[in-house]
Amino acid sequence: MAGVSAGQPDSTAPRDVRQTFLADCAVCHGAEGNGTSRGPSLIGVGRASVDYQLSTGRMPLAVVGRTNDQEGSPLQPLPNSAAGDSDIVPRRHDPAYTPETIAGLVDYIAGVIGGGGPEIPRVGEGNLAEGGALFRQQCAACHAWAGDGGALLRIEAPALHSATTTQIAEAIRLGPGQMPVFGTAALTDAQMDSVVAYVRYLDQPRDRGGQRLWHLGPFAEGAVALVALAGLLLFTRWIGERG
Amino acid sequence: MTAHGAGSAPERVAGDDGAERRAERRVAVLFLLSSASAVALTIVYWRGGQPQLEGLFLGLALGGVACGFVVWGNRLLPQGPFVDERHEMASSETEVEGAEDDFEQGGLITRRKLVVRSLGLAVGGLGVAALFPIRSLGPSPGRTLVQTPWRAGLRLVTEDGRPVRTIDVPLEGLVTVFPEGFPGSADGQAVLVRVAPGLVKPAAARQDWSPDGFIAYSKICTHAGCPVGLYQADTHQLLCPCHQSTFDVLHHARPQDGPAAAPLPQLPLSITPEGFLVARGDFSEPVGPSFWHRS
Repeated sequence: MAGVSAGQPDSTAPRDVRQTFLADCAVCHGAEGNGTSRGPSLIGVGRASVDYQLSTGRMPLAVVGRTNDQEGSPLQPLPNSAAGDSDIVPRRHDPAYTPETIAGLVDYIAGVIGGGGPEIPRVGEGNLAEGGALFRQQCAACHAWAGDGGALLRIEAPALHSATTTQIAEAIRLGPGQMPVFGTAALTDAQMDSVVAYVRYLDQPRDRGGQRLWHLGPFAEGAVALVALAGLLLFTRWIGERG
Repeated sequence: MTAHGAGSAPERVAGDDGAERRAERRVAVLFLLSSASAVALTIVYWRGGQPQLEGLFLGLALGGVACGFVVWGNRLLPQGPFVDERHEMASSETEVEGAEDDFEQGGLITRRKLVVRSLGLAVGGLGVAALFPIRSLGPSPGRTLVQTPWRAGLRLVTEDGRPVRTIDVPLEGLVTVFPEGFPGSADGQAVLVRVAPGLVKPAAARQDWSPDGFIAYSKICTHAGCPVGLYQADTHQLLCPCHQSTFDVLHHARPQDGPAAAPLPQLPLSITPEGFLVARGDFSEPVGPSFWHRS
């Protein structure tokens, strides 16, 4: 079986991938990938960007049978006539394509449409403690200390729990959407590895020191204080009634 | 007495001279205890302080005054309840005279010299004790409010001390920077962003402060001093997480939204031939929330 399929991807994949590109991508990005009024040019965006957008299900924008901002189940590419609205903010979904198709589209866009741009980053081991410190300095302002995301202006920074190692590294180096780019001045490659390790850790953190209180952070302690305050009020009232 | 109307004052020791004197002495002792505690508190504080002792003495000083007032009120002042017929609002002539007499001779309160003097001592002692913590306010801030470590020629470094090179900051990039030699400096921290050079709309006197689209602003919000660490790269807005103040990076960080009234101070930059970013001086204004000397 391996022998039968071994030669096939090389001969058939480019044509399939080209068809997928023309069917699903070209309606907004143009057949040559140089952009239309609906979508930006793909020339020189780089392999990392294509991989990030497709593997996080942010692209393609269009879906069948439900609105775009429902997160979760896989996307189905629409026929060209019903392409997504370019005003929609891309959000995370299960990818519309198999990993093989995504790899093919990455190669197609980088190779045929136009090269350049950042490569898909390789992520090393990383140091969890250093990653935690860097995360709190550079990421937590928007994504919150537990990686749950948070409010910005009219948009929100997404939660990070379902991001894979490669996707986190891609987001750091690419700055998709409103996110700024964190270059090697902000995070060296080794520091980036550490941040990626810490973000992965945040998906299943070991909560020491008692009740996690939904990872609300300092608010949780404030909430506990409020409960204690209510008890104190009742106690005061009890004293007052006795007098 | 006249001021208290016709009701007799039952259950109080007035009249019983012996009991009255005993009560008076007790009040005086309590006030003197308070005064002595306040003096002791002052001495302990002066000699370097010891929190438990200070707490004890402060408690004794305040408690002594409180207990003294309680005894005074219970034993030496007329006790209620008083039943009184409603009378004309204006006092009769004899009442007015009586009140004036009381006032001139020292009425219910001023008559008790021992009690009043010891109270004066207690309150005075507490006042003196309260004077000393003024020393603990520390030295005058001096020029530190208007200066940061930034000087002309200092390179921009990251928190771990690496100098920032232009090639390490991609377009739409964001780096938190410090003056070289002062990594982690609280008042010197700044956000460096890189935007497409044509986009920057610098203020009149700041035309050459942002070479190649590199712009740096103080990271300390001008509203309440929080770190302005949120950056929306597409719309070029810096956000403060505390009260949602928003600053427009392209227009000298003028405030767009939220409670901040002043723009973020800008750090003038230049690029060395080796490709390092360096400051050309201190921030355009004192950093942080507005204060009274700041114009």
